[in-house]
Amino acid sequence: MIEENLSIWSLIGNASLLVQGVMAILFLASMLSWVMIVQRGLFLGSAQRGFREFEDTFWSGVDLNNLYRDLTQRAQEEGGSDGIENVFRAGFREFNRLAQTDKADPEAVMAGTDRAMRVALSREDEKLNISLPFLASVASVSPYIGLFGTVWGIMNSFRGLAMVQQATLATVAPGISEALIATAMGLFAAIPAVIAYNRYAAVVESINSSYETFAEEFSSILHRQIHAH
Amino acid sequence: MGSFLSYSVAILISLALHLGLIVLLFVGWQPEVTQVMMQPQYIEAKLVELAPKKVVQPQQSKVDAAKRQREEKLRAEKQRQQKLAAEKSAQEKKRAAELAEQKRLQAERDAEQRRQRDKAEAERKRIESEFAEAMAAEQANIVAQEDERVANSYRQLIQQRLSENWSRPPSARLGMETLIRIQLVPTGRVVGVTIIDSSGDSAFDRSVEQAALKVEQFVELQGMDPGLFERKFRQVDVAFSPEDLRL
Repeated sequence: MIEENLSIWSLIGNASLLVQGVMAILFLASMLSWVMIVQRGLFLGSAQRGFREFEDTFWSGVDLNNLYRDLTQRAQEEGGSDGIENVFRAGFREFNRLAQTDKADPEAVMAGTDRAMRVALSREDEKLNISLPFLASVASVSPYIGLFGTVWGIMNSFRGLAMVQQATLATVAPGISEALIATAMGLFAAIPAVIAYNRYAAVVESINSSYETFAEEFSSILHRQIHAH
Repeated sequence: MGSFLSYSVAILISLALHLGLIVLLFVGWQPEVTQVMMQPQYIEAKLVELAPKKVVQPQQSKVDAAKRQREEKLRAEKQRQQKLAAEKSAQEKKRAAELAEQKRLQAERDAEQRRQRDKAEAERKRIESEFAEAMAAEQANIVAQEDERVANSYRQLIQQRLSENWSRPPSARLGMETLIRIQLVPTGRVVGVTIIDSSGDSAFDRSVEQAALKVEQFVELQGMDPGLFERKFRQVDVAFSPEDLRL
């Protein structure tokens, strides 16, 4: 009797080299996308939290000079900082520098401050968007890779079927079963990536818009200050 | 929160997830494999107990020491010999019993084997005969097909010859059809032509008859297998119609 062992491992082991390669790629893609998913989740969570905390301290009526000094010190200690504080620091630094020069034109000061904050904002935007393109690629491409593996596997198993005299379901079934594993793996990699991509894109959007809102508000505060003098 | 920390946490979680998946697949997806247990054929062995025969101790009689000694010695010797004999016979009996047991088992095994062999033989014979029948049917089918193929090629030849030799009369019209029967001999010579079904136009009928007679001999039929000729070409019916020549 032919020993029929249809465990998933024997199926993978019996697959052709190309299909095995496809499976390996998909497995790797799944691993990497999960790394990205978790890391992005942590990063975005901390960014949201950081924004809330910063807004609380900012609107608590603290002296802006003190806040700036504290934040700068903390950034130096930790070797860099993320999030809205960068926007605040960039804007405030530029504003102070420009305001301290003599005969500073208020409009020019505001323009410089806005520019500095815009730059900082776009830097933060970049940071928020890291590795989202990778998730998008995995989400859209891995089903195709899996499908390719499956088509190849089924092609081979049908070619084998053409050689035999008596074609039964049992002669093709293992081949098709093994080929379908590739599609399953593709979907396995793609589904979390799609969900994570959509979720994170929305989160990044909302964080960005709250950063921009804050920048506008801060700008209006500085505007008031410079025209009060 | 350092990005290094977040990445290592992410990598750990991802690894754990995939390892978990692999383990799950290892454990979870094992289709039930029906195992056929081969029943081993036991050879039953029985312990055959053979107690050595009790040697009856002879009564001690009161005699003098020397005599007693001698007697004792003699007795001891005798006893020893008796014991030896008893042991020997016991051993022989044991051996014989074992032999008999073995023989019995051997016979049983032989019978079992013979039975199985007979069964297998019968099964094999049945399969063989079925196979032979199927083969014969297949062979016959193939032969018939081959016959038909050869016959068709000859028919084509005949058709070609007839159409070469047929000059249609001017009165031939579309839709006319004359059926003739050509009698042949194994050399391919035409020995008779009869009109079976007339077209209604006598000139047309005559032209058809003439065509068959003009051929005189279908030379190609000479090489034909006589059996095939008898079966299919002793007489050939040919339908003539102006647009085309059919057999």
